[in-house]
Order: sequence, then C-alpha cells, then structure tokens
Amino acid sequence: MKGKMMCSGLTLRHPSEGVGTLSFALSAGTALVVVGRNGSGKSTLLKTLAGLLPARAGSVSMDGVEIAAMRPQARARKLAFVPSTPPRGTVLTVQDVIELALEAGGHQADATSVEQSMLQGGVHPWAQLPIDTLSDGMAQRVMLARAAAQSESLILLDEPTAFLDVVGRREVMADIGQWLNVGKAVVLATHDLDAVQESGWADRWMVMRSPSQGGAVLPDEAFSSHAAKSMLMGEE
Amino acid sequence: MNSRWPMLFLGTAMLALFVFGLFSGPAHLAWSEEWSALLGTGGATAETIMWQLRLPRLVTAVLSGAALGLSGLLMQTFFRNPLAGPGVLGVSSGATLGVALVALGGASMGGVTGIWDMGPQVMGALMGGGAVMALLGLVMGRFRSRTALLIFGLMVGYLAGALVTVLQAGAEAGALQAFVHWGMGSFAHSGWASCAIMVCALTPAVFWSWRASSSLDMWTMGALTAATMGVDERRLSWTALGMAGVLAALVTAWCGPVAFLGLATPHLVRAAGISGRHAAMLWPVVLTGAAVALLADLVVRLAGVPLNAVLSLVGAPVVLMLIVGKGRIFSKVRNR
Repeated sequence: MKGKMMCSGLTLRHPSEGVGTLSFALSAGTALVVVGRNGSGKSTLLKTLAGLLPARAGSVSMDGVEIAAMRPQARARKLAFVPSTPPRGTVLTVQDVIELALEAGGHQADATSVEQSMLQGGVHPWAQLPIDTLSDGMAQRVMLARAAAQSESLILLDEPTAFLDVVGRREVMADIGQWLNVGKAVVLATHDLDAVQESGWADRWMVMRSPSQGGAVLPDEAFSSHAAKSMLMGEE
Repeated sequence: MNSRWPMLFLGTAMLALFVFGLFSGPAHLAWSEEWSALLGTGGATAETIMWQLRLPRLVTAVLSGAALGLSGLLMQTFFRNPLAGPGVLGVSSGATLGVALVALGGASMGGVTGIWDMGPQVMGALMGGGAVMALLGLVMGRFRSRTALLIFGLMVGYLAGALVTVLQAGAEAGALQAFVHWGMGSFAHSGWASCAIMVCALTPAVFWSWRASSSLDMWTMGALTAATMGVDERRLSWTALGMAGVLAALVTAWCGPVAFLGLATPHLVRAAGISGRHAAMLWPVVLTGAAVALLADLVVRLAGVPLNAVLSLVGAPVVLMLIVGKGRIFSKVRNR
C-alpha cells in the first residue's frame, strides 16, 4: 500500500517561536491527531505538509518524493486537504464537486465512479443540489467526500468540525474512521478532543507547544482526551 | 441541463439576426443586388456597402458580444462574484482613460486626429484596461467581502472618469466631439483589420477557458482548496485576469465602453436554466453575447439610438431584477 509520509527535521515558518524540529512518519491506514492552542502552528503544519508553505528547514516527502518539489497537479494525486469552512459562493453541485475531485486525483470521473464516491461519502441524496444551498454540516461532509474521492493515500484536515454541531462532528469522525479502514492515512488538526476520543480510531497524536513549554511532542501512549487536555494546560 | 436545444436555438437566433442585418439597411438595395455584391459580381457601390459597411459591422458585433460575454463570465467565476463584469470592475473605465489619453491628449499635442485610428488607441485601451486588471489582481486578497470588490471597481471607475473629464476640458473641439461620439458605443467603426485582431484574441481565450474549465471550477471552491486540487494559483489568476482584461479592452478600443454586455450575458444564460460548471456555460455565453450584440445593433440601426443607450435600457433593469426580484444574487451567498 502506498501513502507513506515522512517528515524529517521539519521546522515551520510560523509561529515565530516555532515548535521545535519535527520528525515523524505516517503510514497507510494510520491517523495523526494534532492538538494545540490557537496560534500554536497547527494550520501552518498542515499547509506545510500539503506543500502550500515552504518549510524553514527539513523536508516532507510522500512515497519518497519531496512534496515541495512536486507540481500542483502531481501533489493533488498524493494528498487532499479539507479546510475548516466549506466553500461558499460557488455554483457547483455536489456531483460537480465529486467529478472535479476524481479528476484532480487522476481517477476516472465517469458516472459510475462519481455515484460510488457519493455513496461512500454519504452525500448521494444531495447529488444535484448546489453546495451553496446545503447547511454547513452537509457542505462539510461533501468536502470530506471530495477529499476521499481525490486521494487514496493521504488526507489532511484542518479543524473540519469547527463550525459543526454535535451530530455533524460525529459524522465527520465516523467518515475518518472509514478512511482508515480502507488504508488512507490521515492528519487531523482539531480542538475537538472529546469527539476524537469518542470515535475510537485515534491512536497517534502530536501536541504543538512552544519551545519554552517543551516544544512539540508525539506522546508514546495512545490518544486520550484527558491526557491531551492536561498536556495543553501544561500539567505534565 | 445537458440538452443541445439551447445551443441550437442560440445558434439559429444568431444566424437569423446576422442574415437579417446583412440584408437590411438604409441603402434600399434590392435582394439580387445585395446577393451579387456578396459574391463579388455586383456594382461597386453595392459591393462597398456589403463588404465594407454591413459585413464588418455585423462581424464586429458578433465578436464583441462574444468577447464581452466571455470576459464577464471569467470575471464572475474568478472573483466568485455574480455582479462582476468589465464595466462594474472599472476595466472599461480604465480602457476609456487610455483611449482618452491617446485621442484627446494626443490630438492636442501631435495632431493625431481620427478617434477611430487603430494602433495608438488599441495600445491606450490595452494599457488602461490592463492596469485596472493588474490592480484588481494585486489587491483582491484584501477584499473582505464581495461588496468591497464592487465598490473598489466603482471607485476606480470614478477616478478614471474624473481624469477623462480633465482631459475633455482641455481637448480641442473636433477631438472632443469624436470622443463623446465614441463613448456612446457603436459596432460601425471597426474594420476587417480590427476584426482579425479580435479573432486572434478571442480564439485563444475561448480555447483556454475550455481547457482550464475544471481549474476554474475548482477555483470557485476557494484558493486553498483549489491549490490542493492541483490548481496553479498564480498562473490561473494572471491568465484569467489577463484574458478578461484584454478582451474587454480590445472591444472598448473599437466600439467604445460598451455597457452591460459583459455583466448581463452570463445572467441571461443562467436565466435560461444553464448553469453549473464553467464548461457548460462557455459556449452558451459566447453565443448569447454575440446574439444580444447583434440584436442591440439592429435596434440601433432601426431606431437610431446609440448602442450604450439601448444596452443600458435593457441591461440595467435585468440587473435590478436579479438583485431585487428573486433576491437570488446575494441572499444565498454569505460574505466569507
């Protein structure tokens, strides 16, 4: 199975204090939960992993190829990204979005594959609706289905549940669990510690802290919202 | 809507308007005279009327309508703003200022007389329109809302308008008259050479819009999402803005600041039930732009009213209806 991400000696461009040097690997079917306070550099980390921001030092690679050196189209076949807010002001329908995602991922975008991707993402009932007419929760699920249709290997999510209600959060976490089952790798930045805990799939995690607080750490023990909270509050 | 009927209808309508325009006019030529003139076997006068007056005018209308429609569509897609268009965003005003600098400033200095002269005027329009487009491209990241973009365009328009007024105040009477006349808009003053240049600009623009249609669709989901779906943000931005700007500026150079066609054409297409992906809109928009331009030109010829008056009398109510009527243009869309 492809989809192995390697970070070695990575230093981010933001925040100014930095979080120290990051080195970790992520293989197919595993998830990394990134927690940290506002402004701790979670979004910067995800954008750097996605190849949108250059790193200050170090490198990120997918299956041995450096992300920063890839052309946008090649990168889109390796990884997909879900921001915290679903798009607004577009005329695209759910079906259009899935078609585009398959195209971006370099897959067949015929009617059958589009149908299948919509079924897998649970967005099939809204196929013909413009995403602008959907609620935030529904639109965000479409964005998750988009990411899943686009990338077979790695999906990065930047606080995807930030604007969702309890049910919406649970649905997003369940979608992620399904991806892990089919072998996708996931990096999830979130404040939603309880929803992650509840989902049951969370294993590896990373706490983003400034160097004065000890820098970023990847704890050895399995994720628990309790441990994550106490680390965030600085009670180790 | 995947039916071919709208395209067939639009194509037929355009053709019918074209043929009607070709065989009607104040010269009262007989059918047979017109026909033989077209074939090159008629009298010299008839031949001049057909080949130097009517045909270039009709072709100019077709090309300008198509160019403005495509320009408007590109701007609406790129700025994710249904009210964007070459007029609203100040591109036409910038091109007008460029033309004014050449036609009014130049005339008083170097004695360049004809406002319909090609070279300098086209350069002026391209530089004026291009400057506004580049400005929009540079500051677009700073707009916090859709309305900010529109107000920005409006203010650029005012600024260019004020400078044009200054130039007008100092202009020599003949040049001023020609400039004012040009400002009313007309498809009648361009020739085969300008048509050829328009084709050279329109063809790659249509081709690129077709090739890049998926990227443009992805772009409407936001720059971040688009970038991670493989869109080269910088390349897409400058190509889309460049093409939209060049098309609008070229039309302005030869036909004056033609009102509303760019803004209204994509909405006419949407009103007909065609919407969604860029590729589905492209050909209907190009054809509708051409058909509306032909229709407007026909009204100009039959009623003797300036082109911009005709287009504004129809275009302004259309846009007002879009905003107020169903409340669809802004209500659905949140400012993010």
